[in-house]
Amino acid sequence: MSWAAHQFEVYAVEAHLPKKMKGQISWFAIFFGDFTPDFLAKFWVYGFNYNGTHYGASKPYQWHRGWPGMGISHTLFFGAMCCLGIWAWKHNRAWTIGFLLGFAAHVLTDVNDSIGTMLLFPFSTLNWSLHTWAYAATIKGGKYLDAAAYFSSLGAVMDLFWFFVVVIGSWRVLTKEFWRTNIVAADPHVWSWLGQWLDDRGLLALYRGVFFYGVCRMIAWTTWAHLVARPIINGVRHNGYPWDLSWTGPWWVQRVTLPQVTPWVVLPMALILLGVVYFVANALWERMESGSIKEIAWRNVRRKTT
Amino acid sequence: MSDPSSPEPPGTPSKYVDFWLYATAAGSYIPLAIYNKWLLDWIVGPFWLVAWVWGLPAVVKLVRRQPIKPRRGPDRDPR
Repeated sequence: MSWAAHQFEVYAVEAHLPKKMKGQISWFAIFFGDFTPDFLAKFWVYGFNYNGTHYGASKPYQWHRGWPGMGISHTLFFGAMCCLGIWAWKHNRAWTIGFLLGFAAHVLTDVNDSIGTMLLFPFSTLNWSLHTWAYAATIKGGKYLDAAAYFSSLGAVMDLFWFFVVVIGSWRVLTKEFWRTNIVAADPHVWSWLGQWLDDRGLLALYRGVFFYGVCRMIAWTTWAHLVARPIINGVRHNGYPWDLSWTGPWWVQRVTLPQVTPWVVLPMALILLGVVYFVANALWERMESGSIKEIAWRNVRRKTT
Repeated sequence: MSDPSSPEPPGTPSKYVDFWLYATAAGSYIPLAIYNKWLLDWIVGPFWLVAWVWGLPAVVKLVRRQPIKPRRGPDRDPR
């Protein structure tokens, strides 16, 4: 799984929207789209202990990304179903397309760990994984071992990559000017509602909050894993978890796998699907406009008649 | 929200105040979170920033007996 990368990619997606969608896609929709897969699946991955009993998935990786399990929450098919639901409910293209882009970013980023995601579900239940770093959520290790493994492997590099994509390539997305002209403009009702309690400084902090959380969790977990923790690995006590920036690292995590396709086809397929998602979003954008206008017109008619 | 046609010039005092607020928010959150992992949560993290960046100035306003609730241009109460 990815950690802070999921926070950073929300801003990266926002910064790289197609030109005709700039200032029109809901930032909240991108955030919730990116957030939904783990919101649905992750709680039971780590589980919880109560009265000495562990409640949670017996095979976290199977539950999180496999079939049967909640692996469906990390599929483009499920994202498309959610978008259909949003469209049927609200007829709002800013939310529908925003959710789709955020969801797709999450699913495609998660092909990097050694379990990957079911990219072609429901046509295939095979997982697609690049094996860039080891999937490390286990019952015994829980969230701590998962974090330690991630921030000792190429996962940490992935987080840094997305961080630099935002702060070097797309730093404007964090500015007050961008927030005012693009983010607020796309979601005026939500920001106006929040503006009942918060002034501009507070609203801007709310917008930047996800990025702030990504930066802080990256620094905090990395510091803890390498400067604070004193793990015992193979009977040897270490001052901090050892770094391992090799492919599918770190070496000190138990390997787990699900039935998968060969890793060589994963990157081309992920790029093709990314292109397909952008193409579909582009194609639907214009068509959805008439749907949105019709829905607004019908809503006004209903309001007048009641 | 404030009038988009009148952006603040760069280098104004509020820019430095904002920078200080964001820096201290991170400087307080990260060390605490290293030893209290429950703070590393997707709700607590963004909430911390809002509470710090908006809340601290709000406390200062409260002490000075100034209103905290934002006043929006055209909807402002005429009284």
